[in-house]
Amino acid sequence: MSELIEIRNLVKIFPPNVIALNDVSVYFHEGEIHALIGENGAGKSTLMKILYGMQPADSGQILINGKTVQFANPGEAIAARIGMVHQEILLINEYTVWENVVLGMEPVGLFHRIDRDKARQQVRTKIDEFQFNLDPDARVADLSVAARQKVEILKLLFRNVSILILDEPTAVLTPQEIPQLFDELRRLRDDGHTILFISHHLDEVIELSDRITVLRKGQKVATIDTKDVTEKMLAEMMVGREVIFDKIKDGIPPGVAVLDCQNISLRSPITNKMLLQNISFQVHASEIVGIAGVEGNGQLELVEVMMGLRAADQGSLKINGSDLSGSSILERRKFMAFVSQDRSRMGACLTASIKENVIMTHHKLNSAFTKSAGFILDFAHAASFAEQIRKTFDVQLNSIEDEMRSLSGGNQQKVILGRELSLDAPFVLLDQPTRGLDVGSIEYVHHQIIQMSHDNRAILLISADLEELFRITDRILVLHRGEIVADLVTDDTNITEVGYLMLEGADHA
Amino acid sequence: MNVIIGLINGMISSATPLLLSALGGSLTFYAGIFNIAMEGMMLSGAFFAVLGSYFLHSWVAGIICGILGALLMALIFILFSIVLKVDEFVTGVGLNMFSLGLTTYLLRQIFSVKGAFTNPGIVSVPRIHLPFLESIPFLGKIISGQNLIVWLALIATIVCNFVVFRTQFGLRLRAAGYNRTCLDTSGVSSNRIQAISLIICAVLCGLAGSFLSLGYVTLFSENMSAGRGWISLAAVILVSGKPLGIALVSLIFGLADGLGLYLQASLPSQFTAMLPYVATLIALFFYSMKSINTKVEI
Repeated sequence: MSELIEIRNLVKIFPPNVIALNDVSVYFHEGEIHALIGENGAGKSTLMKILYGMQPADSGQILINGKTVQFANPGEAIAARIGMVHQEILLINEYTVWENVVLGMEPVGLFHRIDRDKARQQVRTKIDEFQFNLDPDARVADLSVAARQKVEILKLLFRNVSILILDEPTAVLTPQEIPQLFDELRRLRDDGHTILFISHHLDEVIELSDRITVLRKGQKVATIDTKDVTEKMLAEMMVGREVIFDKIKDGIPPGVAVLDCQNISLRSPITNKMLLQNISFQVHASEIVGIAGVEGNGQLELVEVMMGLRAADQGSLKINGSDLSGSSILERRKFMAFVSQDRSRMGACLTASIKENVIMTHHKLNSAFTKSAGFILDFAHAASFAEQIRKTFDVQLNSIEDEMRSLSGGNQQKVILGRELSLDAPFVLLDQPTRGLDVGSIEYVHHQIIQMSHDNRAILLISADLEELFRITDRILVLHRGEIVADLVTDDTNITEVGYLMLEGADHA
Repeated sequence: MNVIIGLINGMISSATPLLLSALGGSLTFYAGIFNIAMEGMMLSGAFFAVLGSYFLHSWVAGIICGILGALLMALIFILFSIVLKVDEFVTGVGLNMFSLGLTTYLLRQIFSVKGAFTNPGIVSVPRIHLPFLESIPFLGKIISGQNLIVWLALIATIVCNFVVFRTQFGLRLRAAGYNRTCLDTSGVSSNRIQAISLIICAVLCGLAGSFLSLGYVTLFSENMSAGRGWISLAAVILVSGKPLGIALVSLIFGLADGLGLYLQASLPSQFTAMLPYVATLIALFFYSMKSINTKVEI
């Protein structure tokens, strides 16, 4: 194998003081699947964006087939046969698959009329060549996320790209869709394509890649052959210290019942289907209760009902004895901290500054954040509070005045966690709090959750990650078709049993 | 019978400027530009058409000058909203006011009149008489004798429909509106596509303006476009830009306008002049009812 891409001593600095890449040198062989791993902010995406011409490097060189290149924009990179699939999918939903694929290089006839038959034929040939199983005439809006991703890859292949960069391709896929993507990527590699992919799922990296480059805080830790490493070794290289995947929840005896939900039911007004059926459970002080379940089995509705976003048809919700069943959201927030799984819409306002995001909810509940009888925000106090969260939660940011969206997903999540955990609420509702985070951040979040349980708080953790539930919970409730089908003590059960209950409900017993 | 023929002809001449400028607006609509400057482009077109026709003694020169006048507005729009990234709404409002001020100022400076300039020296755009078809009863009096620009508007409708939905440019044009980042990463500059759409829009608005001052009547008066650019914007939004839909909506507005003229005999003219605007509101009302209903079904 020859050196296809050679990256030499790349440096990238985001003013004023963030060193995104610090003297990074990597080689990519032709025809390999090369994984780039690292924590949030380690520089993986920045490295790929520089290679793809989306950002200029401050110093260093990129050589392709021995020739120095410097792309001013992605168009030049594509012309040099390098293509990138971004995390957020860039397609036109209103167009069909073939229209999306040919956009920019349409075959035309008289009067620049698009030769539809020819375009469709060209796209179909490519689909067949790579066995993509797509319908060229399907509208992208009607496709699943996995299929849209395939269309993006197809679009690049249509431009004869031989080097494919994928930025966390599995983040948007369901577990069932991932093996198919991997098969396709392997087929592409066997076809002579070179694939660079960014991930922080170590199991996926080990399964798919030939070689792995580990980045940490802008520096390259190592490039290694996948066959020589284990997940544990990779995690240590990424984080820079030992990471323990074992159970870390200590069995402190739970205190009094804090949260008390009784007989909560909700019926869909549209389909008349029961979304939640007689949900009753308690969470005690110092206790961490997990809710397991396949997505779409009532988790979203339960969160909405508990937060007061949606009124239940029946049932009651009490915290420390106060009945909150009919209370406003603000009233509930006096008792509840809440981390939403939807960071960009419910958890934060991406166009507001980090400082403003940090004081949301606090500004209503804590009079220290306002002056003049609550009419004027005290930004000096807000700034010191934001700086405090930045320090305690180790948020990588330029300035607390920057927009929230300038942060990476992991850092946004840290800001949100910092805000919510600083509320003095007796009950904490966590909806997939570690989704999209890297190993180091997940470990950090888990320790924070354990810490809260030591503070006598009651915690409800909704998670799709069973390993996470087994690592930090005392009890696991299994939600299946809107019903709690099992209430298990974590120490007395195992992943197989919970997995089975999630899929089959209680009927298997 | 003559009443009906008169009404239909009135409808066609009222609809023509709306149709032309709305077609221009439809292109910028598809390109994802919030373009409210059709009013200003049309007004500028109307003034420069008269200027060209009067001084160069030719209606062809008039139309060309009208188009150039509208293009001037488009180039300012491109400079501010595409090159300098100023808000499109602010740019549009500014341009419309600038156009009104400029044409009024030039009217008073060049022709030394206030209100309106009318002169036998202005050469109007000819009507097309079709001798063979003229003899057909009823239809003959509608098909024959229409202004040249009316036919141009009809052709423009068909061409726009073809360009938007069938051609390479159309695919890229709509892509610019749907998701410009996607278009840019596909190797096509969305700025370039948007600029082209504005230029074509100006050509069409220039024609609309020329029709107002050299076809509909042969004079220029201050604020001659009188809100037609805004009505055409409403038409574009009403049918989500579809050129054939725009043709239909323009005819409905034209009918309301023509009807207004007829009703002047029995109603105060202030009320009859309201008709096109009332028609706009009614159309908007029914359109929103339709979209509310479809939302409930989902």
